[in-house]
Amino acid sequence: MSSGGVTWNVYDADKLSQREIYGLVLCELGEKYPSIVGLSADLAQSTKIGAFGEKFPDRFFNFGIAEQNMMGVGAGLAKAGLIPFISTFSAFASMRACEFLRTDICYQNLNCKIIATHGGTSFGPAGTTHHATEDLSIVRALANLTVIVPADALETANAVRACMDIDGPVYIRIGRGFEPRVYESEDYGFEIGKAVEMHPGDDVTVIATGVTVLHAVQAAKILKEDDKLGVRVLNVHTIKPIDREAIIKAVLDTRRIVTFEDHNVIGGLGTTVADVIAESGKGCAFQKVGLPDEYTIIGYPEDILHYNKVDTDGIIEKVREIMGRDFEADENWEDEV
Amino acid sequence: MATEKDLLVSRIFCRAVLPVIKVMIEDDPKTRAKFANTRAVVQFVAKDHDGDVGAYLDFDNGAFTVGQGVAARADIAFRFPTVAKMNAMFAGKPVLPRIQGMWKVGLLMKVMGLLMGLKILMPNAKPKTPLQARLKVKMTLYMVSTALSQLNKGGYPDMVEWTAKQPERVYQWSVDGEDIACYLRVKAGKSQAGRGLYTRRKPIVHMKFSSIDNALPVLTNQVDTLQAMKTGLVTNDGSPEYGAQLGDLMLKVAQLVT
Repeated sequence: MSSGGVTWNVYDADKLSQREIYGLVLCELGEKYPSIVGLSADLAQSTKIGAFGEKFPDRFFNFGIAEQNMMGVGAGLAKAGLIPFISTFSAFASMRACEFLRTDICYQNLNCKIIATHGGTSFGPAGTTHHATEDLSIVRALANLTVIVPADALETANAVRACMDIDGPVYIRIGRGFEPRVYESEDYGFEIGKAVEMHPGDDVTVIATGVTVLHAVQAAKILKEDDKLGVRVLNVHTIKPIDREAIIKAVLDTRRIVTFEDHNVIGGLGTTVADVIAESGKGCAFQKVGLPDEYTIIGYPEDILHYNKVDTDGIIEKVREIMGRDFEADENWEDEV
Repeated sequence: MATEKDLLVSRIFCRAVLPVIKVMIEDDPKTRAKFANTRAVVQFVAKDHDGDVGAYLDFDNGAFTVGQGVAARADIAFRFPTVAKMNAMFAGKPVLPRIQGMWKVGLLMKVMGLLMGLKILMPNAKPKTPLQARLKVKMTLYMVSTALSQLNKGGYPDMVEWTAKQPERVYQWSVDGEDIACYLRVKAGKSQAGRGLYTRRKPIVHMKFSSIDNALPVLTNQVDTLQAMKTGLVTNDGSPEYGAQLGDLMLKVAQLVT
């Protein structure tokens, strides 16, 4: 890895957080695409877009604590043919600057990339003001916007690169850094809108996104060993457009679905998956696991997730619970597999 | 009468320090050869108001175990008037115990050699050969992981408080490219030290040393953890907050046994 962050490989990823990776990949893309510009609202260091700013000072703009203004200028730059990467905390991108994201960027379907760091409860001790537990619910309702939640640093690298293939707005929700790795390498076939099967199984499917993917995989291994259960784990890294095909297949194969997210259970991954299942007309037992509809305790992210049962132990408990639940078979005789 | 601290420290020595003798016997060819045909029990025991405190080393033709308490019979026994004096001897300070079985000179010399070998655990002990360096790193990591668990089991307030509120979590140490790995598992006030890489769940903190040479300055406190991370001597994979707390507790172990 060079000090300028232009080249790096997966071996360096041991030391790199999602945010660090984002900064490095953006520098790499900056070399390739002169039209990329970086925008920050006084969080260049925290969101790691500062690496881009150091490398391309003429293409980097700090707006101070003025997220709405940053979104508006980003829209203008996109109208002028540039590709703005707009970095701020998830809570600010999705809420403080929401109207500007919606009206200035999404309404015009502009080619802006929103990199929303510190998603979910990952900003733990900073408190409720800095937790983003509603952002997916809000941004997935914005038309034209693609919404991606990478599971780890390597998937972040893939997502940041892949978003360049979309001529329109993209919201990438990443953590605070220090999220453990899920993947061993970048080469697992990342594709926007396509879920990744992380663990095979035909008894129950856990559909996870972001930081919960690792917990789901660990839970699947433990449940296989202790309960002899086959737990399929799907990493649905793209919330919008969601992989309907993988979800329906999981319903037909396992008939038990548990969604798992570091987000309010209202409006995020669970609701999106529920929409898909309801629209399909297929029957299954269904359970959403996420943060309850209340403002959570404040503490280290690991402790907040455990308190709310959004971790390995929590998902094990929910899977055992749903395995004991009856469900009514549907009347569609054509859906046999 | 031994203080609570004396008893806690003796617990660390008997249950965390003496067991790492096994590393010397298994990994050091000369030591292994010395004990290949030895069958003997060596007792360390201190008098206390509430009964004798100690542990014994059981050598069985190359196999080695540490038993707690007083053995039914011992070939050699190191007897101390107080727990504090036994602790002092284990910490490398000059103490003269009463030695029963001194006439077994050959065995006594071999055991004294092992006890001298434990001095490699002292932070200021500098290994002179690559084998000694490897032993120091392996023994230190094994000792620290077990000592942390024993602190919890022995009621050390900081450790008890630390483990009480945690769900099942694993703290892992390893050295890249070496057969050196150990872990501490905690769950709601319980703790357990283990050897190897824990595979059942991903550690909340994984302290990875890039090599033996890079582990040494960290384990001998020549560089602080932050500096070590900055310079790549060690990688702390996982929660930074819990990693820092673990580092603080490791320092407390060092303070107790030196």
